[in-house]
Amino acid sequence: MKYAYYPGCSLTGSARKLDKAVRHIFQKAGHELVDIPDWNCCGAFEYGDRKELMDFSVANLRKAKTLFGGPGEAAQKREDSRAEVLAPCPACYRNLKEANTEDRFKLYHPLELLNDAFLSSIPAQRDLKGQIFTPYYGCVLMRPEESAIGDKEAMERIITRLGGEIEGRKIRDRCCGGNQFFINRWATEKLSRIILEKSRGAIVVFCPLCHMALTSFSRNRKILYLTDLLLYAMGERRSL
Amino acid sequence: MPKIEPIAELAGYRREDFSVCLGCKICGSVCTINDLSRDANPQELLLNLFLHQDISSESNLLRFCTNCYNCANACPWKIRIPEVIRALREEMNLATTFEKAFKSSVRRWGRVYEPFVFLKAFPFLVREGYLKYMIRWTEYINFHLPHRVKKETLPEAKVRRSRLPRKEGGKVR
Repeated sequence: MKYAYYPGCSLTGSARKLDKAVRHIFQKAGHELVDIPDWNCCGAFEYGDRKELMDFSVANLRKAKTLFGGPGEAAQKREDSRAEVLAPCPACYRNLKEANTEDRFKLYHPLELLNDAFLSSIPAQRDLKGQIFTPYYGCVLMRPEESAIGDKEAMERIITRLGGEIEGRKIRDRCCGGNQFFINRWATEKLSRIILEKSRGAIVVFCPLCHMALTSFSRNRKILYLTDLLLYAMGERRSL
Repeated sequence: MPKIEPIAELAGYRREDFSVCLGCKICGSVCTINDLSRDANPQELLLNLFLHQDISSESNLLRFCTNCYNCANACPWKIRIPEVIRALREEMNLATTFEKAFKSSVRRWGRVYEPFVFLKAFPFLVREGYLKYMIRWTEYINFHLPHRVKKETLPEAKVRRSRLPRKEGGKVR
């Protein structure tokens, strides 16, 4: 399966780890990720003008189109099945999904694709038996309804499948305040501390901003990307 | 006093779209700001905006909204309040150092180049005591050169209408 891949700014910088892991896991499962050529920033949550914000993502989708278009027959073939775009960063995923008004693209978050069939196609060497995890989705993947991920139990499903135990279900969609991190630090601190207190074991996230906020305020709690668990299970990582 | 029409337009609404608000205040009861302070009341903000009342730039909602969309999700009319707040912040010119650095990077390269944003906001980060987290951020540090996105493929930078001037005392009239 071929996906147009939109990494987003964070994944080329501070969340490089997540980017590498997603590419690796999808490659192992036999999928092809092709970077959208010359992609631009999605604007995250920094723009007050909705039109301006959406234009960024419209430009990205236009660039993604060039990967699938092609002249003649190939283009005709693609008309039936919509072009697939994969965006691991929750903010980028949301913006792309909102900009996809005519429904010409099928937008995926990796969490929606990591189903049982996908997981069986990657080699499993280890399991997570006896370890406790708190899945933490954060705001953007869960709300609002129209741009939320399709499968809201994805992390629980994957962790249980790998043998881990789930705790702290109450905080899964609370806000960590990451958006305010570089504006009002104390606000983020207060919100993140609530999550750190009410969770048990390692906190599993998928959002680079949540990862940064929780890491900054945790003393010695482990904050992991879900992909870290998968890499560990695949035997690519020595420890968690 | 902030005019509602341009703000509604920025957020992708028209003025009359806010008139459907039932005043149920469910947005206030689910608001994340409740964990930070006591006066989280998005409904009042919508009402004030609708009635052309004063909105203080010091209001906790404008300052601390985390874009968690709890309100929009709970709202019977699904009014995207965080986007209204973002539009208000834009119109009242409340962008912080970090937001400015972010946008400046996007203008320059078409992407957020983190080292640039970091350096641009450096005085702010030092002043506000962010450097103590540097030890925890070591895993985020990696070096890469910026990629410059072709200008013609980027959406045109909007030329803003004259913004409301920020006045002394935090009130915008």
